[in-house]
Amino acid sequence: MIELLVRVGFHDVAEAQDFDEGAAIFRKERPKISFVDMILPGKSGVELTTEMLKIDPKAIVIAMSSIVNKKMIRESLDSGAKDFLLKPTNEIALGAVLAMWSD
Amino acid sequence: MGLFSRKPKDNQREDGLGISRKYNLLPGKCYIVEESPPDLSFDAFVNILSTQDEACAKVTGLAISRQHPDMIKQKYGLERTPLFWLATRAGQDVIAPTNLGILTHTIIKFIEENPCGVILLDGLEYLVSNNDFNKALRVVNQVNDHVAQGKCRMIVPVDPRAFDPKELALLERNAEKIFGAQARRA
Repeated sequence: MIELLVRVGFHDVAEAQDFDEGAAIFRKERPKISFVDMILPGKSGVELTTEMLKIDPKAIVIAMSSIVNKKMIRESLDSGAKDFLLKPTNEIALGAVLAMWSD
Repeated sequence: MGLFSRKPKDNQREDGLGISRKYNLLPGKCYIVEESPPDLSFDAFVNILSTQDEACAKVTGLAISRQHPDMIKQKYGLERTPLFWLATRAGQDVIAPTNLGILTHTIIKFIEENPCGVILLDGLEYLVSNNDFNKALRVVNQVNDHVAQGKCRMIVPVDPRAFDPKELALLERNAEKIFGAQARRA
């Protein structure tokens, strides 16, 4: 994912492994756009999305998952995610999401 | 036509997911996607089915694949889209790779009944190995004419390792090519 983001022009990228690390990095770095896997070890991606938006209500969160689980996608959008990307993603889909949601 | 075809069930439209359209695939066009596995093709197919269309309010899809329909349903959350399995087994939702007549007629019938629909034809390599390249190419070209007329979109993933350059050129002659570089994944 980082390699793909760099390839489409985003060089300032941070990565986290789980809810705690994700929330901590988000608090410190305050990224404008975050890609959150819906399935994380421990707490879910929906919970992380909610936590991130509590910290910064203007943040853009894009949900990701390797399966299209409609219930999970609706939950993530209801919790404040702006969009959804199916994993593995590609330059076209990622580029479209970034064009739509980044400055 | 006097040919048989596999009949999709009624009410084939998927519910919208509230996500954005990520693939600008134009109506009336066939897209050859050079990739393996066909992740980008399926993502584009599902994304178009799950989002609103400018021309048609909601798009209906038809997928023909080497992957078993149960696996496709599970991974991509497709509940209503007709899915046909390219396989040598007998069954309602199965199309034999050697029966190019039924395959062609099933797609053409879908196009006639679903203007603005989107078709995913995954398994061209399998069709070629069970017939020959020219026969498989004729299917793509014949369906392509109907796609153009019916303002549908057709997505055909191909593994470039399975074709020689001349064959790829012939496949891409009447289609838009999506480059392997764009299909790079993460």
